Amino acid sequence: MNYTMKVCWMYHDFMDLYGDKGNMMVLKKRCEDRGIEFILDTCGIGEEKDLSTYDLIFLGGGADKEQINLIPDLLSRKENIKKAMDEKTFVLLICGGYQLFGQYYIAADNSKISGLQFYDYYTDTGKAGSRCIGNIIIDANLDGLQTKIIGFENHGGQTLNVTNPLGKVLVGYGNSFEGGYEGFYDGKILGTYLHGPLLPKNPEVADFVIAKSLQKNHQTFKMSDLSPLENEYDKNARKVLIDRLMK
Amino acid sequence: MKLLSIIATKCSAFALSLIGRGGSLPGSIGLKLDANILKKLTFTGPVILVTGTNGKTSTANMITDLLSTQGYHVISNRKGDNLKAGITTTLLTNCSLSGKVNANACVLEVDELNVRHILPNIPVTAFVVNNFFRDQLDRAREMEQLIDSIEKVLPNYKGELILNGNDPNVVRLIKKAPNAHATYYGIAKNKYSLPKTNEASEGKFCPHCGARLTYSFYQYSHIGEFACTKCDFKSPELDISLYDIDLEKETFYYNNEFFKSPYEGMYSMYNCSAVLACAKFLNIKTDVAKKVFANAPQPKGRNEKFEKNGTTCILNLVKNPTGANEVMKVIEKDQKDKVVCIVLNDREQDGTDVSWIYDTFFEKIIKDSTKEIICTGLRANDMALRIYYGNYKGPLTVIEDLDTAISTSLSKSDNVYAIATYTALLPTRNAILKGMK
Repeated sequence: MNYTMKVCWMYHDFMDLYGDKGNMMVLKKRCEDRGIEFILDTCGIGEEKDLSTYDLIFLGGGADKEQINLIPDLLSRKENIKKAMDEKTFVLLICGGYQLFGQYYIAADNSKISGLQFYDYYTDTGKAGSRCIGNIIIDANLDGLQTKIIGFENHGGQTLNVTNPLGKVLVGYGNSFEGGYEGFYDGKILGTYLHGPLLPKNPEVADFVIAKSLQKNHQTFKMSDLSPLENEYDKNARKVLIDRLMK
Repeated sequence: MKLLSIIATKCSAFALSLIGRGGSLPGSIGLKLDANILKKLTFTGPVILVTGTNGKTSTANMITDLLSTQGYHVISNRKGDNLKAGITTTLLTNCSLSGKVNANACVLEVDELNVRHILPNIPVTAFVVNNFFRDQLDRAREMEQLIDSIEKVLPNYKGELILNGNDPNVVRLIKKAPNAHATYYGIAKNKYSLPKTNEASEGKFCPHCGARLTYSFYQYSHIGEFACTKCDFKSPELDISLYDIDLEKETFYYNNEFFKSPYEGMYSMYNCSAVLACAKFLNIKTDVAKKVFANAPQPKGRNEKFEKNGTTCILNLVKNPTGANEVMKVIEKDQKDKVVCIVLNDREQDGTDVSWIYDTFFEKIIKDSTKEIICTGLRANDMALRIYYGNYKGPLTVIEDLDTAISTSLSKSDNVYAIATYTALLPTRNAILKGMK
């Protein structure tokens, strides 16, 4: 059977802090190496796009000042994004993108910026400009798949009232300094603060995202339907950090 | 406390120099004893600060040489560090007990986040700003906050701003400095200028009104001629504009005069332009600048060439995407078969976040003429993973031990490029010297 994964990377030209574009490189290669056609489309401010026609929507993080520019455009797409989610388009959100799907976030200059309000979580700013910065390891459960996710976090935002966290923090901070949990996952969206970028060192998460995306048009598709794809580099890169940080 | 602070700094610097150390500790002691010690110093002659993400060291060194060659007795932190304490060490070890700095010119390279500690506290005559790129964001937080910390100390600044007129992040500073005068330097449109780019991470939005910026041309990264689509923010007319540049021959023209740049790449010519802007501001003749360019020392690990028995190895430091992209362009120019060895560390001075390797166009070396890529360093596997996802088809090897990685590279090709992050640079250099023995 021929599969196609169609991705829309929103605001790609400035929501791409900390190497987040690496996530797209990973999805592309892990699809194409398995004969899955990979189509990457982008959506900029003011561009007409029906987001519900994609298998995956991806939104990364940006600098505060740049992020503010996209708010009116993003909010104007609220209905369309909701339609996409209702029609099983999977959503991958990193950092700023994750915050924007909640109620609101407080920027570093204390202004309150409204989010899409699909979820109850909201984001305060770190006290006195403090930020959660450093390597992070979390223990996540993705629909039964237990896996350690490794990345690098760098955020002032303190995301609170998270009902469905992505994982428990083993090393690092996560959603907030004291919270002990990281990210958000509810089957429809996966939001996280993890850069690194997220997917290269976490091939299981990458394949999980591919499987979730393909389920839009192939309801019975399972992660185990993806042919195995192994490289020694991600295994060793993970081992180096786990050995260094968890001992 | 002023006298005690000066004496303590001098004594500790002397004591540390006996055991071959120095740096920031004496200055930290001085600052502990008198937090306002910098304010109490007196200066004679020009005081010049240099900051920016890339090129501040070579620019500050060339400005120091410019003033020395002109006959000034110059104090600089060429050998010291560029943070508050290191700069304090430099100044206090070179002043009298009454706090008079023993020189008639001062050139200080200042870390971007430390400008706020230095600029308001000493009588700065000229403040040179090269550029702002993403650099070690885990330390510097977002670049915007960094620029903000500089803008906050500009309202009372009365000296000269010597600004890169082709970087919107730099040009914006003048709006926060109503009491200062600006000199703009840069490079005119030339045969390398591009109408579009995929390299720029900055310079997308107007720093004043937030509307999109448009560029009539790019020189590299987000450096170019820009204008806001909504308000009046745009590239200023350049006071110092280099033209007819030739990157092969490393030459350029300024004011009908011909110059040879001491270093490779367009970014180096921006440093030359900054030096010429300082010369103009200080009424120093261009002949003096020419002498400085001709005698500029080649810094270690900046396109440093090692040759032995027909084998060539070129070593380059990389520390952020913009600098790394310029290094990639240099390697890409060489179409001969080669082996590339990349040393990626993640210690504090390297940046503990290695995600920047995904913002760097390693694709430029992912080519058929690259016969093998060998990765080493603390994050060797992350580096290899980046190359793997860049779709490199040749052999991609991780070798943990640095010496072995370099000697293996040298055994596989007579044309080797070594790329190392900050803390890996000297060990890599030593490994090359050892491997070529």
